[in-house]
Amino acid sequence: MTQQASIGDTSVSAPPRRDWSEDWLAVVAGAAVFVLALGLLFGGNLLGWVTAPRTWLEIGKAVGPVSPTYAHVDALLLLLATYAFVLALMTAAAALLGTSIPKFIAAFTVLFWLSYLSWVLGNYANIAVTAPGEMQRLGLSWSLRLTGEFGYVLALLVGLAIANLMPVAARWLAEAARAELFIKTAIVILGGTVGVKAAEQFGLASSIMWRGLAAIIEAYLIYWAVVYFIARQWFGFSREWAAPLASGIAICGVSAAIATAGAIRARPMVAVMVSSLVVVFAVVELLILPFLARSFLSEEPLVAAAWMGLAVKTDGAAVASGAITEALLYGDAAARGLKYSAGWLVGTTATIKIFIDIFIGVWAFILAYIWTRHIEPRRPGDRLRIREIWERFPKFVLGFAATFLIVLAIGLGSSPDSLRTVNAAMDQANVFRQLFFVLTFFSIGLLADLRLLWQEGIAKLAAVYAVSLFGFVIWVGLLISWVFFSGIKPPLAG
Amino acid sequence: MRANNDKPRIAEELRKMHAEPLLPIEKKLIAWSLIVGIVLLAVLILTGNASIPLGKS
Repeated sequence: MTQQASIGDTSVSAPPRRDWSEDWLAVVAGAAVFVLALGLLFGGNLLGWVTAPRTWLEIGKAVGPVSPTYAHVDALLLLLATYAFVLALMTAAAALLGTSIPKFIAAFTVLFWLSYLSWVLGNYANIAVTAPGEMQRLGLSWSLRLTGEFGYVLALLVGLAIANLMPVAARWLAEAARAELFIKTAIVILGGTVGVKAAEQFGLASSIMWRGLAAIIEAYLIYWAVVYFIARQWFGFSREWAAPLASGIAICGVSAAIATAGAIRARPMVAVMVSSLVVVFAVVELLILPFLARSFLSEEPLVAAAWMGLAVKTDGAAVASGAITEALLYGDAAARGLKYSAGWLVGTTATIKIFIDIFIGVWAFILAYIWTRHIEPRRPGDRLRIREIWERFPKFVLGFAATFLIVLAIGLGSSPDSLRTVNAAMDQANVFRQLFFVLTFFSIGLLADLRLLWQEGIAKLAAVYAVSLFGFVIWVGLLISWVFFSGIKPPLAG
Repeated sequence: MRANNDKPRIAEELRKMHAEPLLPIEKKLIAWSLIVGIVLLAVLILTGNASIPLGKS
């Protein structure tokens, strides 16, 4: 997860206590979009005005509403409405988190438009078009075939450039760069999309969920043990450093590192350093792995999707990698005349990641038990509380489960016509999901300070990370993904 | 990221780190995690592939 951590934060030893957490706010924001989208089932086209980029050659035709009902309205007005809606939603969340509203609005406005512009540029026809028929229709002699999702990568690169070349601007924008809030909101919305896919292909969806169990075993029991051993035995790290490092590399990045540091009573600085490294390495993975998957997993798209969920750390980077992988592999398939049903790869990556997230609290509890009983017995009265499992539980998962189950229940009891309406409703919500993805990409870039790698003393930490990640985690993830997902293909569209 | 404020401390902390040999409980944790993990994966492969629909298209 892409949770931010601060050196000055002394509360790492216990889960943060606020009236509202980003997890719950993501549930509310995602649910708001979801409920409005469901209006379509009752005859109300409440979100059809939301604009998304289209493949374009003339900038005037670069964006348009998701529903043809709003096609007659000026696209610029609809774009402003889209901005205003997302701004209102996120400002309300920021207010509940205690952020300064004027600062947030100013920073979010810049963040939104830079992200959206990246998204639009990524959809330029010569960059995005993949299918030969589409090239012919647009009169293109060449295309990079990177798909419209290249806009996500552009947003990441713009964020990275600002973070590393314009630190003052980056600090100002950081007020609104809530990568964790954005990606969790997107995941709650994604639950509905996955639900409608599951209703259409229940057997395949349940098969993917079952295989998600393998991810939990792999992350907690295999990755963690090996990385901990490498950190302790090969690199000579103390237990205080090795355990959060193992959780950061093996499980789910920042949240797992913080939860583990808390469980073993490590100093806040340890969690912060590990978290900072996690973010930097997640960006590196995000820029490499989807393209690697494209080069040798084009015939096994679901293996590639599961691999992203298992190998890329932090929720944001992992799900984002799934989206890029889907775009690249589907684009290549389209060039071969194969059109897969959208959403299956990113849904698989998100499912795998969510399965892993669910057990962070349980794992922290187990480590706390071992540390307090066998390694560093605590003072009398300093007792383990089973409630901490719930406190560390990623609540946005409940939002994902709710939207998934609601749509699945509606979809399974629907006629084919009604199912088409549910699909259209989720398509509307999906534009917001994509928009939150772009914002996440930009924010991840903005929070990844690559100068960290040049910091004195960091090389040894980074070495454990690099050896574990590139020497073990990525390849075992690939093997397990292959064992559990090879031969399974996403359904064809239409 | 605000880790830059802590530059000298991190290098110093890592230098100050004492050698801590693996305790028997840590060895047990590592070994049992791996054993249980591999066994459970094998069970999942054997039972999952046999009983869950693959949805091949």
